[in-house]
Amino acid sequence: MISIQNVSYSYNGHIPALHSVSVEIYKGEFVAIIGGNGSGKSTLLRHINGLLLPSAGSVTIKGMDTKDISSVFNIRQIAGMVFQDPGSQFIGMTVGEDIAFGPENLGLPPKEIRRRVESSLSAVGMAGYNDHTPGKLSGGQKQKVALASVLAMEPEVILFDEVTSMLDPDSRMDILSLIKQLHENGTTVVYVTHCLDELVHADRLIIMEKGHITHDGDPRLLISRGDVMNSGLGLPPIMELSRRLLNAGFFEPGCFPLSREELRDVLCQLK
Amino acid sequence: MNDLFFSFIPGDSILHRLDPRTKILGLMLASMFILKVSSFTGMSLLVFVFLSLVATCKIPLKHFFRSIRPMLIFFSLIFFMQLFFTEGQVIFQYRIISASHEGLVLGTVLTLRFVFLLLFAVLLTSTTSPSKITAGIERLLRPLPLRYAGISSHDLAMMMSLSLYFVPLLYDSFKVLRDSQLSRGLDVKKSPLRAIFSLSVPLVSTSLRAVEDVSLAMESRCYRGSGRTSVHSIGYGPMDHIAIIIYLFLLFYYIVF
Repeated sequence: MISIQNVSYSYNGHIPALHSVSVEIYKGEFVAIIGGNGSGKSTLLRHINGLLLPSAGSVTIKGMDTKDISSVFNIRQIAGMVFQDPGSQFIGMTVGEDIAFGPENLGLPPKEIRRRVESSLSAVGMAGYNDHTPGKLSGGQKQKVALASVLAMEPEVILFDEVTSMLDPDSRMDILSLIKQLHENGTTVVYVTHCLDELVHADRLIIMEKGHITHDGDPRLLISRGDVMNSGLGLPPIMELSRRLLNAGFFEPGCFPLSREELRDVLCQLK
Repeated sequence: MNDLFFSFIPGDSILHRLDPRTKILGLMLASMFILKVSSFTGMSLLVFVFLSLVATCKIPLKHFFRSIRPMLIFFSLIFFMQLFFTEGQVIFQYRIISASHEGLVLGTVLTLRFVFLLLFAVLLTSTTSPSKITAGIERLLRPLPLRYAGISSHDLAMMMSLSLYFVPLLYDSFKVLRDSQLSRGLDVKKSPLRAIFSLSVPLVSTSLRAVEDVSLAMESRCYRGSGRTSVHSIGYGPMDHIAIIIYLFLLFYYIVF
């Protein structure tokens, strides 16, 4: 679905951020991209919907090249993006108007726009917030509205750029379960984060470091092997515990637990 | 802050339901009358029109007075300038300062004009959401040959709604910056000039960043300037037709008398 071929990119032409990165993302996948600051993960994400254009190489979505100006509009409709900062991605004065912005750009009739505003608001559990001012919502609610405004464009892929990094733990769990739900309904998810706790729902993990993809594979396998630790991200305590238990031979790498609940279940099955 | 700039109060009155174009044209017509009227009968007629409009939209009068408050200094400046600097029959003298009867009349009339302009404008903004106002302005501008200037009425409307959008955003980042500079020992009273610099320079850079963020968000949601529709399906209803007929009569009256 998304094909990234030998993509290199430098900011301002001389600060290299990506070095000949190639990756294929398939329909229906939940891909998590992790890496430290400056690893190029957000830069890679912004190539997917054509916000950045590669200095070398090519990015195609469903066969459409992001460099082709005539298809950028379609690409951005297929691949929606939610940004990190909940405060600075609003365009409308009210929640309803902000969500309507995307469908308005698609040139939809007013009636259909209103239908989409309602349905995407209820999809994120914020029905009835139409007339609220985005600025007065909590961080978690803002991100939900941001997600709703992407959903209103009915994309096939949603790109998440560290969307939980400015949220409190509860709202983080809320957003994550919403994303999981979207994925279960068939949306392809590309999820950039530096929080390893958030990998529970991912079925594929890409680790980036200094503009390269260093690892790409099953998250449980990559974490159990300790590949993550080389990329400058420490393991959360629960994964560290799982790893020690694994090394002590308590269970197989294939069922490596990533969360407290999973670890509990695995341990309960032990005799 | 929001209450100050975008005093929109949602509701379901006749004024709320009128097409934004009708209301904008009405405001323009009202302004014409406000700038023309100088007799006190005319003024009281304006008060009557204003009060009856307020009565129909069920917004408490307090809301309107609150919107005048920030402008009080400006209004009193106008009034006292006229009062003291207009020559005529002296009614009060203290050393070189003298107030004239003509100044009193002129000052009152001028100040009231500004107050009325503001009140009628607030009547528009409190019964119409900002996006409806921009949608209305966009439609009104559409017949103008703007494309020869290289822009469309869509662009203009977008620019207006974005600048409205940035006002509270700028104010918020100003507050954050002020707090962070104060916590680092900035003394506004002792060195006001330094305070201005240490606040304005980061304010400019943060707002530039905010602009970049918003433009990224707009781009990734398919903004391309043209081919947009609006969530508000604005259209004239029977009330609008009645209003337009009233406008025509008023315009006729304005031109003839």
